[in-house]
Amino acid sequence: MTTHEHPPAPELDALDALDALDALDGIVRHTTVDGIPTLFAPRPGEITAGLAFRVGHADETLPTAGITHLVEHLALFHLGLSDLHYNGATASTYTLFHVTGDETEVVTYLNSVCAALHDLPMDRLETEKEILRTEAGSRGQGPMSSMPLWRYGAQGYGLSSVDELGTRSLTADQVRHWADTRFTRDNAVLFLTADRVPDGLDLTLPAGHRFPTPAPSSALPVTPAYLRGEDGHLVFTSVVRRSTAAAVFAEVLGRALFQDLRQKGGYSYSAEADYSSRDADFATLTAYADALPQKQDAAVGGFVDAFARLRAGRIEQAELDSARGKLLKRYDVPDLGAALLPSYALSLLTGHRSLTPEQHRDELRAVGIDDLREAAREAWDGGLLQVPARGAEWAGLTPAPRFSPSGVSGTLHPSLEDDDVTLIIGAVGVTLSTPGGLVTVRYDACAAMTTRPDGARCLTGLDGFRIAVEPTLFGDVTAERIAVLDKAVPAAAVVPLPARPAEEIPQPRERTAPDARTPAGGRKQTEGRKRSEDREPAAGRVTGHFVLVTALATLWPVLLVALVVNGIKDSSPMGLAAIAGCALEFLLIRAARNLYRTGQPTTPQ
Amino acid sequence: MGESAVGGARPLVTDPFDAVPGLAPLRAAAWDGDWAATRAFFEGIPVADAEGVCFAAALLAGVDRTEWFLEKAAKAEPADPLPRTLLAERYIHLGWRARGRGLGKDLSRDQAELFQDWLRKAELLLIEVCAEHPAYVPAWTARLATARGLTLGQSEARRRYDRLAEHHPHHVRAQSHLLKQLCPKWGGSWEAAHGFAQECASAAPDGSHAGVLVAEAHIEHCAELEGAQAREYLRDVSVRDELLHAARASVLHPDHRRDWQWTESHSTFALAFSLGGHLGDAARHFAALGDTVSETFWQTVPDWKTRFTEFRTAASATL
Repeated sequence: MTTHEHPPAPELDALDALDALDALDGIVRHTTVDGIPTLFAPRPGEITAGLAFRVGHADETLPTAGITHLVEHLALFHLGLSDLHYNGATASTYTLFHVTGDETEVVTYLNSVCAALHDLPMDRLETEKEILRTEAGSRGQGPMSSMPLWRYGAQGYGLSSVDELGTRSLTADQVRHWADTRFTRDNAVLFLTADRVPDGLDLTLPAGHRFPTPAPSSALPVTPAYLRGEDGHLVFTSVVRRSTAAAVFAEVLGRALFQDLRQKGGYSYSAEADYSSRDADFATLTAYADALPQKQDAAVGGFVDAFARLRAGRIEQAELDSARGKLLKRYDVPDLGAALLPSYALSLLTGHRSLTPEQHRDELRAVGIDDLREAAREAWDGGLLQVPARGAEWAGLTPAPRFSPSGVSGTLHPSLEDDDVTLIIGAVGVTLSTPGGLVTVRYDACAAMTTRPDGARCLTGLDGFRIAVEPTLFGDVTAERIAVLDKAVPAAAVVPLPARPAEEIPQPRERTAPDARTPAGGRKQTEGRKRSEDREPAAGRVTGHFVLVTALATLWPVLLVALVVNGIKDSSPMGLAAIAGCALEFLLIRAARNLYRTGQPTTPQ
Repeated sequence: MGESAVGGARPLVTDPFDAVPGLAPLRAAAWDGDWAATRAFFEGIPVADAEGVCFAAALLAGVDRTEWFLEKAAKAEPADPLPRTLLAERYIHLGWRARGRGLGKDLSRDQAELFQDWLRKAELLLIEVCAEHPAYVPAWTARLATARGLTLGQSEARRRYDRLAEHHPHHVRAQSHLLKQLCPKWGGSWEAAHGFAQECASAAPDGSHAGVLVAEAHIEHCAELEGAQAREYLRDVSVRDELLHAARASVLHPDHRRDWQWTESHSTFALAFSLGGHLGDAARHFAALGDTVSETFWQTVPDWKTRFTEFRTAASATL
């Protein structure tokens, strides 16, 4: 996205908005092509064109995550191998098909995309799903990848953090319906770097309506908040009202971090900040710094202090001037109108008012130190900081929730790996009880539940918490208990996954001391604690403990019967003693079973 | 001054307020909860004397209930770095008092939480002050104490010291804070601690207090040892030579001028030489101290007042 910035405006109907572009006359021209609002401005040489739709990751749900990406791939399939420079991109709130070539090539590309959107090549569905899964696997997870999940949960804008689960289970009908409703002429904007609309365009798309950007969800009860991330990376994100001052502030922040963390302290190599619009009214501010592990404490301290200085308004005029100068430079380009087309097109899509370059320059010139101080305070107040080590409570930040506020009642299933961890399967949800706290996913707030034929279920809540119900890792997770989950979780949230090879079905590991700081529970990491591939074989083990407990379990019933018979002879009340004796036998059998499974003595529940 | 040692009858003066007449107005102001008088006292300290401000701030922090009027003053003068820094020093003092002097692992959960809460309150004030007044050395000095207590790590403590040293390269109180951080019990190493002490001492101008850092490092080192090692450590000739050299370049140097830190520095040298059995070397420091003494390091010695008097008597006999 761009850091080109305009003030917020009330939502406008697509075509009214197009009329509002009259103010841009002399910079870009506008028309409609087959009902699609179209912006164009000349640039010599090849034509670049973009067809953007107001649909992206943030419009999806966890079970359908990736559906927009899938449509984009299917729409481009027919173009196949060609030398044409074209591509598609799926972002959080928009999807863009773009191309650069001569007029004929551009017309061919756009016509082909629209024709394909009409009639997606569904015979390719499974192959494209496979390709997307491969693409995701090679993409990897960057240090910033989990920030949206912590802020928004596993929904809306938080979905850019998650796997594209939809590539597992989406059906042709679902994909077709998504294309028919979201990839419509009323939900699109076209732009071209040309002095006229080329002949031969046939962009017929179904009618529909313009979808507003989704309302943001929140998984952060208190901000500013912090979370612990991996070594060597410091990430800060915040959500601020879109404004020219906030965009300038991001520049100032980036420079301040570079100066303090790299030039002055030498704690970081990279230190930067970015400002990207999230929707019509709000933008995401991101700051990032890396650090060597032995310097990362100083990098956190330097970050906190740099931000505190900006919040205090101790900003040099020179800092403001150079940041402003950089943003003004964007207008010092040839064929300005053409360069601004993508930004104007996206503003039109999201309902954000477009400023002329002159208006925006005026706003940039009007930004003062006080505006920056206010922007800094707003950014800090809404911030989420990912620190590599220790905490950040000392700097006034609140830990982002690592546990749910409450648990559910239900059947107890002790972990076979860790005495202090218990899974609870209840009527309203599941809870994982760990020494650090409870992690709960309620069925009515379950974003998705993946299912395996072996009985494993993995539930992710809308708040982003995740619980893996692995029948092999918890006691007594019977088919009946799994059936409770299957019945309670809404069908739309269920994502069936294929059978796993036997060696991928987890088995209890050697027991380790519970670590309260990295519980088996916790957001994203709930089923974390990576299970090593060379784990113990599944077969039980006959140990000394096992023999001893088995012997006791065998001898005790004999003794018990003798005692009970004697008791009856003496005609004294034996009911209670008999029950206690039976309970002890039950415990002994269970202990023996656990020993066989894990080789470790356990305290039966 | 040697006569005060005779019989050791006179009680030792351990409170700097009693030992230094010039500090009396500060104590009066603190007891009266009089912010105007407190501010006037600090404004009377020469601007260049950041050591003096830090010394007085630490002293004020030890006076009970001063947080009441300091909180009001910090609220009333939100742009002034002084009241917030003094309040932060008071919070730090309350934190360490809640914590006690034991090892970190021996703290109860409540103690540890209370300690952290006070230090966080202090730190939040100090973040603001340092952001608004980056050259205000007393706030950076206090932030070295919070960095240690909040276990923010070696590199963060060093960063804070570097920010301070940009404005005041030879600030002994801040150096002393960082020296503690560089000791193994706070995550450092003896090489780093001794290296830093020597580096500060040799970089400082003649007659400054910086030499005392060498003594502090050796006392800290000795305290970590056990049994025969602990007994022998300060007796070592090379340690003694370092101490002598440091004392001669600092508090025994002709350029050294008596100031508020005088008692602290001589007390530390007197302790280091006494524990090492170098009573002849300790004598000049005892003579300088008379009946005054700083508890800071001495109170780690069991029954320290008796031991101090015994050492002093024995040392004066060598003269």
